[in-house]
Amino acid sequence: MKHRKEKEIKVIFAGIALIFLTFLAVPMVQLLMKSFTTEGGGLTLQNFQSVFAREDFFEILRNSFGVAGLSAAVTTLLAFFLACTIHYTNIPDWIKTLIKGAAVLPMFLPTITYGFAIIYSFGKQGLLTRLFGKQLFEIYGIRGLLMGYVIYTLPISFMLINNTMGYIDKKYMIVSRVMGDSAFANFKMTVLRPLLGTLAASVIQSFFLSFTDFGIPAAVGGKFKTIASLLYSEMLGSIPNFQNGAVVAVVMLVPSVVSITVLKILEKYQIRYNKISKIELKKNRVRDGLCGGVSILLIVSVLSVFAVIFVIPFVEEWPYRLSFTLDNFRNVFEDPNLFNVYTNSLFVAAATAALGTIAAYGSALVTARSKISQKAKDMIEGIALVTNTIPGMVLGLAFLFLFSGTGLQNTFLLIIICNVVHFFSTPYLMMKSSLGKMNASWETTAMLMGDSWAKTILRIVTPNALSTIIEVFSYYFINAMVTISAVIFIAGARTMVITTKIKELQYYNKFNEVFVLSLLILATNIIGKFAFTKLAGVTEGGAAGQFFKLHIRKNKERSL
Amino acid sequence: MLKLQNIKKSYDGTTVLDGISLEIPDGEIVSILGPSGCGKTTLLNMILGITEPDSGSIEFNGKDITDSPMEKRGFNIVFQDYALFPNLNVYQNITYGLKNKPDISSKEELEELIGLLGLKEHLPKKIEQLSGGQKQRVALARTLVMKPKILLLDEPLSALDGVIKESIKNRIKTIAKEFHLTTVIVTHDPEEALTLSDRVLIVNEGRISQYSEPEQIVNAPRNDFVKNFILNQLEIKKNNIFTLFKNQLNIQPGKESLVS
Repeated sequence: MKHRKEKEIKVIFAGIALIFLTFLAVPMVQLLMKSFTTEGGGLTLQNFQSVFAREDFFEILRNSFGVAGLSAAVTTLLAFFLACTIHYTNIPDWIKTLIKGAAVLPMFLPTITYGFAIIYSFGKQGLLTRLFGKQLFEIYGIRGLLMGYVIYTLPISFMLINNTMGYIDKKYMIVSRVMGDSAFANFKMTVLRPLLGTLAASVIQSFFLSFTDFGIPAAVGGKFKTIASLLYSEMLGSIPNFQNGAVVAVVMLVPSVVSITVLKILEKYQIRYNKISKIELKKNRVRDGLCGGVSILLIVSVLSVFAVIFVIPFVEEWPYRLSFTLDNFRNVFEDPNLFNVYTNSLFVAAATAALGTIAAYGSALVTARSKISQKAKDMIEGIALVTNTIPGMVLGLAFLFLFSGTGLQNTFLLIIICNVVHFFSTPYLMMKSSLGKMNASWETTAMLMGDSWAKTILRIVTPNALSTIIEVFSYYFINAMVTISAVIFIAGARTMVITTKIKELQYYNKFNEVFVLSLLILATNIIGKFAFTKLAGVTEGGAAGQFFKLHIRKNKERSL
Repeated sequence: MLKLQNIKKSYDGTTVLDGISLEIPDGEIVSILGPSGCGKTTLLNMILGITEPDSGSIEFNGKDITDSPMEKRGFNIVFQDYALFPNLNVYQNITYGLKNKPDISSKEELEELIGLLGLKEHLPKKIEQLSGGQKQRVALARTLVMKPKILLLDEPLSALDGVIKESIKNRIKTIAKEFHLTTVIVTHDPEEALTLSDRVLIVNEGRISQYSEPEQIVNAPRNDFVKNFILNQLEIKKNNIFTLFKNQLNIQPGKESLVS
């Protein structure tokens, strides 16, 4: 029999391969080469020598490792505690919902805003400093960074742990108890052990994010230099040195590659339960009170840091003239320069989401629903893995090197493509798992009913993948809204987005505008997230459908 | 008439089918019976046209279709897991193929089919609201709308329980007779195969163990495999049932029919 040749899949594959060749492979190879060549083009190790010879280089590296490692540990501990409160206490559901919501809130803001929020909360004139009557700690340097990184990575760490905890079969707690385990042994066997892989993954993921983040050190780094701030100053400082910049980028890349590799290996050690059963938790008011109390305290602390964003832009001049005003908002909205960056951001985020969703969907169709050669599938998996390991700053820098002087320089298209490539990994994996779970015989069945491939995708696969498609869209949109690392090097004067504008406003100490713009991002993202979630819910049949399903299931046994 | 000649197939050096030759007359129900891994699903996929034989030929009504693609053969299949489209309701699933080939079944034929399979009151329902047996009937209807030249069923009863199993069995028989439809069924359950089909093809290790009518298999098993693995199972079941109905059998000797 002659197989259908899957021409469409091959075209999609070729398109994906071409995009990532041009916008991932070539820029990255060129960046690597740049670090090993002189300005004239000769091969050399001079660049590495000159960077390593900086007297502060290894101190900077130590700083980055130290503070990123420390915050990764702290974040994971806090996230674990929050997740335990959700899954292993009997506190009221609305408090749990509150904790879940607040823990992921920082995701909706760019990291550079956290930095400024910390300054305006804990700085000399900060909101919290004034509330407490004294400055609690020195914010510039390690403490500020630590705080910023913890807030930044808490959402992802919490989601990771909270999610896995949901998949732990709670029945094992009963087994452990009837076997006579002590409370501690019980906890160790039924909660800690199954989560070990996830906890390690959370530490590594948080480390990776903090290590490569630019926004927080840009705001509260002070004299405490990190590798990201070094890269920035090498490239956009007073004496730019592109070769050295390339070297720093390569140095930044190495730990990223290592951490993602370890993460990949850890995946294999995840414990999988055949079945997830919920049990009634033992009544324990002390446990509930303690966990609930501490969790609420944590959440309040996180929220209090962000409280300033809601205060500063609404007063005349912090901290001197505190009367309420909307002037700051009016100024931003009336200043075409500022309002334009908001519409720019919106456009970039929407376009990134649209293009990114197409790329992720197309790629997932190739790997999850085609019989194309294993080599082609491996290649797409490889692309996803590589995009996951490359820090945004490094990718942005590679784009800067490759596309300067070309027609793509200073275009929105370049920023959009950079975002699509940078955030590709997660959306692709989401899409692949969703498509992979679908019935393997749909295409065959539809074809027997006379469908062409495209028709099947349109009539069957896409409608059934719709909720995931919307989730992917939302993921791309929000990330494109808040990213600064990936775009700091490639956003030009005409293509300024909010996050890069915030960096610029910092020079002029225009913090009212910084917070107004941050609020705009926050509002946009929350509205977006809400709308996307609703939309995705509708496509799943919604709550009424769920209820109906249950009702039907009860009756169906008798129906034949 | 479907004719398979000396079909061979191997995957990565492991022989799955080793010289299968058989003929399936028009309008008959034929079950392919064998333990898991015996090659029966591969054989089914080959008839459908999604698996290519390494050698040998497939003929339908005197025409060589070995190289025809699946869509051209005009056969159709109901998969074990039904492969119903969850984004469409029951009616939309059943009429799916009519969107592509509006003339293949008339409105009356469609209604007759829906009536025959007892799906009338379920038409506006979502797929997830259906029970296993209902899903099976929807999948059957969806396939029959396409008027397949041969109907292929992959383990049609394995996901169903008890009474529902018997009811679907009857419907399959009715449909095959009503439409004079050649039906090929894959199953691993001897009872199912022998009570449902006109002929049973017993496959073991890629070869045909026996291909005959159910009665003949029971009365004249051709080899030890048929005796030990196929008939033995039925023997145990029979004895269990007889033990259960011992008293009734004593009162009315010879009335074994109540078992079936």
